[in-house]
Amino acid sequence: MLHTFEGLLNSLGGWLIHVDPGLGLLFVVGASMSLSDVFALLANRLSARQILVRLLLDALILSVAFLLNSSIDMVLLSLYATEPVHPIAFINGIAAALLPACFYIAVAAPYIGETIGLVIWVLMHLNVVTLLHVRFDLPWGQALLLSSPGYLFAVLMVWLLFRQGWRRGYTMLASEL
Amino acid sequence: MLQRFNLRLLALVLLVGLGINLIGFGHVLLALRRVLSAADLSLLLHLIGVSLLILIPASGIYSLITEFAFWEGWLEGLPQPEQLFATVESTGARHRCYVVYLDGIHQLERDHPPRVSAFLELLEQHLENQALLVRGLETYTVLPVALAEDAGSAWFWRRLFALQEQHPNGLMRLLAAVLVQANNVIKVGISSDRRYGPIMNYELALKITLRLAEVGFRPDAGCRVVLVGYSGGAEMAMGVADYLRRITRSPVSIVSFCGVFSGNQVLEQVASITTIVGSQDPVAAFGRIAYPGRSPLLPLSNWNQALRKGGVQRREISGMNHNGASGPFSETFRLPVITAILAALQPAVAAPEQTGY
Repeated sequence: MLHTFEGLLNSLGGWLIHVDPGLGLLFVVGASMSLSDVFALLANRLSARQILVRLLLDALILSVAFLLNSSIDMVLLSLYATEPVHPIAFINGIAAALLPACFYIAVAAPYIGETIGLVIWVLMHLNVVTLLHVRFDLPWGQALLLSSPGYLFAVLMVWLLFRQGWRRGYTMLASEL
Repeated sequence: MLQRFNLRLLALVLLVGLGINLIGFGHVLLALRRVLSAADLSLLLHLIGVSLLILIPASGIYSLITEFAFWEGWLEGLPQPEQLFATVESTGARHRCYVVYLDGIHQLERDHPPRVSAFLELLEQHLENQALLVRGLETYTVLPVALAEDAGSAWFWRRLFALQEQHPNGLMRLLAAVLVQANNVIKVGISSDRRYGPIMNYELALKITLRLAEVGFRPDAGCRVVLVGYSGGAEMAMGVADYLRRITRSPVSIVSFCGVFSGNQVLEQVASITTIVGSQDPVAAFGRIAYPGRSPLLPLSNWNQALRKGGVQRREISGMNHNGASGPFSETFRLPVITAILAALQPAVAAPEQTGY
């Protein structure tokens, strides 16, 4: 029993070392997105320490959201694609495709921020679709179809997380009046 | 018909501007080609592009910091709405209508430029006794200090103001003036942003209320507030109107002239909106394109809803431009604009109860 558990931990450790660049990039993406929403935390009048903790937590949640996005893509690919899916290579590839989101912090910019956000989201999706098209030899239409559920899940997660922060801020503002 | 003419004029101005820019850009490239290789030139252009992509959002984000630090309470002086009228001593005379002037993006400090001051003096002379003009409000700062005394960026603004006034090179003076105005443009952008606008507009509403309290305004005294905004001041007026209505517990109207505004703001409870536009004003026409909230393609935007409800009056002044010799502060158009403002103020001064609160 103990040996099985040790074996499991060893294989998980080995896997983590191999996907290290990909996971690192996913965390950078999560951190950049989390930072883009720092003004929502300020709107909630959190203390400096609370803001730091929330930034870190949000970065982790967002990284996990993109990891789940990749998992959904992998499940769909293993069901419908003919090429085998190697999780390590796939996560590293997806992380590279999400690179535009490293600049997501620019979404915090007033007025032009939402347009920058839209461009980044479109670029990320195009990158993932291209990745599926090239690596798995899928037609463009099928690549788009298979990558969309995971992408929509990530969009929903980010939207929910950020919207909640602003809503609390506006409630606080309304209570002042 | 005139609206179509405006759009055609705007398209022409944009095309001519683009053409001039392309010619200028071509000449600069030719000059650079003489000293740089093609690869170096390409690298330089890429670097400039990347710098702009970083600098523009970064300056916007930096500009937000003061507003949110003020809201957080990290900077002193954010007043509580309920204490605003309790702590400030009134200067005496009561009026029925308080006309608050919010200047355009050219505003650098509390004192308005000479042309604007002359315009405001004339407006003041024409106002009825029961109306009071409140001027000298720094529209683009939420703190009760001038831009040159701002805690985080005072050193920068002081140098820029010095450059603008004293540098021997005219191009440098122009660049400094553009940078100062860019700061105010960013504030207009923050005010119209759906995420940040509510907090900045609330802070500005507090600042205006504080000023109103100083000049004798008291809530529940049957007074009205009229926000008169020029150019970007129109956007700020629309942003603060609803907050001001709630804080002052009084009806608030908006009169804009040559206004550039987003149409994103909450306008349903505003008593009345009057827009005074010049038939030759390309900047105000550009606002209709730059802000999707003004487009008829978004019928549910706050602006389009206000238009449908008939809450917006439009007055056009033939031949008026956005600024300069044909602008609203010029001797030619000063009086027509003031007449239009007075006409818009008329129901507000005479019968505040008719429009209701």
